[in-house]
Amino acid sequence: MALFPLTSNFQGDFVLQLLPVDTENTMDEVAAAAAHHSVGRRVPARPGHTMRVRQQGAKEPLPRTLKVSESGLKPMECIEVIWE
Amino acid sequence: MANLGRLDWYDIARNTNWQPTYVQEDELFPPQMSGSMGIPLPEWESYDEPYKQTYPEYVKIQREKDAGAYSVKAALERSNMFENADPGWLSVLKAHFGAIARAEYSASTAEARMARFGKAPGMRNMATMGMLDEIRHGQIQLYFPHEYCPKDRQFDWAHKAYDTNEWAILASRHMFDDMMTTRGAVDTALMLTFAFETGFTNMQFLGLAADAAEAGDWTFSNLISSVQTDESRHAQIGAPLVAILIKNGKKAEAQKMVDIGIWRAWKLFSVLTGPMMDYYTPLEHRKQSFKEFMEEWIVTQFERSLIDLGLDKPWFWDQFLEELNYQHHGMHLGVWYWRSTVWWNPAAGVSPEERTWLEEKYPGWNATWGTNWDVITDNLLAGKRELSYPETLPVVCNMCQLPINATPGPTWKVRDFPLDYKGRTYHFCSEGCQWCFEQEPERYKDHLSLIDRFLAGMVQPMNLAGGLQYMALAPGEIGDDAHNYAWVEKIRAARQKAAA
Repeated sequence: MALFPLTSNFQGDFVLQLLPVDTENTMDEVAAAAAHHSVGRRVPARPGHTMRVRQQGAKEPLPRTLKVSESGLKPMECIEVIWE
Repeated sequence: MANLGRLDWYDIARNTNWQPTYVQEDELFPPQMSGSMGIPLPEWESYDEPYKQTYPEYVKIQREKDAGAYSVKAALERSNMFENADPGWLSVLKAHFGAIARAEYSASTAEARMARFGKAPGMRNMATMGMLDEIRHGQIQLYFPHEYCPKDRQFDWAHKAYDTNEWAILASRHMFDDMMTTRGAVDTALMLTFAFETGFTNMQFLGLAADAAEAGDWTFSNLISSVQTDESRHAQIGAPLVAILIKNGKKAEAQKMVDIGIWRAWKLFSVLTGPMMDYYTPLEHRKQSFKEFMEEWIVTQFERSLIDLGLDKPWFWDQFLEELNYQHHGMHLGVWYWRSTVWWNPAAGVSPEERTWLEEKYPGWNATWGTNWDVITDNLLAGKRELSYPETLPVVCNMCQLPINATPGPTWKVRDFPLDYKGRTYHFCSEGCQWCFEQEPERYKDHLSLIDRFLAGMVQPMNLAGGLQYMALAPGEIGDDAHNYAWVEKIRAARQKAAA
């Protein structure tokens, strides 16, 4: 359990944002935390879609239940949150 | 007996080089301060300034300029410009004075360094006058906004901004310290007078003076024109140096300094001038879009200057041209969304008529930037203003110190440019900013961006209140929508009309 800063790049948004998460958070929880700062603020919600987390430039998203502490993500690494 | 004409004695009078006998040449002109790159003294003496002015002429003309600007101000003090001006225009004034006035004093130290350590006599002569110019610009741009302080506390930031850790000032100071206060005379001349002043501010001041006249602010228009006449003279310090550097095999060095200067100036322009021209200036007073202005004055004119001098277009030119389409839209949206962190009130500039204008000037605006503004607008229409304020910080670039942003919506081009250097990961907004860092990593590596400071625990408490306190934004100073959201009601009326 430790605070872990990431950089959120949310699909359809215009700016990178500081995203404080916990090392125990899963990728689904990371996506939800990122959505809090983008969806309904500048990005329209997409009902029926799932949000997935991937490393910047990666083709495949990270597994939904993968924890931050197991992901190999570095502090302040830029993650892309995409609709699926 | 008739006096000699100026050109009959000018060269002799200003050629103050001599052969030192009590000290070595490098003690008189330390290479680090003069930036002389090993080029021998006689070469520097070939410096031929395009603008030849003597000190008596300078004093006479400057006195007239000051008398003109101050008398216009005095005459119009009862004109109620402040009360009648569009709030968007007042925001232009506040942002301008806060970002520029104290930087002018800093510029006077840059000119002083060129006046003392430049090896070219003509350069020293021009820089002596440039130094006095910049002192005048600092004073006049502090004196004029002072009149508004009792009416609006945000004008106090004309003086206060530069001493704070407010994010836009961190960006401004990082760039100005880089080109004005921490380099030798030659580098300073190339970056400040050639890249920044010739390339950018000269034109910005022309544009601002025209906008001010359109907005009926004759005091500011006169002030800016007065400042610009000085800029157009001392901005010419750098160009003759380029000729000397190229002749002595230092083209690559000159090109690098100019390229860094242009890229850095562009980024600051995208956050200051872009939003002013395309969003803050009332629609009926807009002459050109920011992109049109940049293409006409900066791209076409400055590109020609570069080529004429024997330099090349910067390697990033295509990227720069591409950014003209989007970068300032993102800076504007960021400033508006994080509006409580600036000392002026950003005008949203997205009423129905303004969006039509934006779409005309930037085809595709509605399908990209418009998608983000649609959500903001819907929230405001629904009374959910709290969703139009942030709950976290934007990640800023480790070079320009500005939010990392790009086109949103379906095309979504936002990305980070990370770089590892000596165990630390740096984040950049672009290839250009990363390149600037890579040219001199030791120079920049220890600077902490606002985000770095936040993560290091330097901002306490770690929330918005702590952030505002760190940035020295007191109640009554923090920004909010310039028009108190009146544009939202315009949209409501337009939608109701369409539905009826």
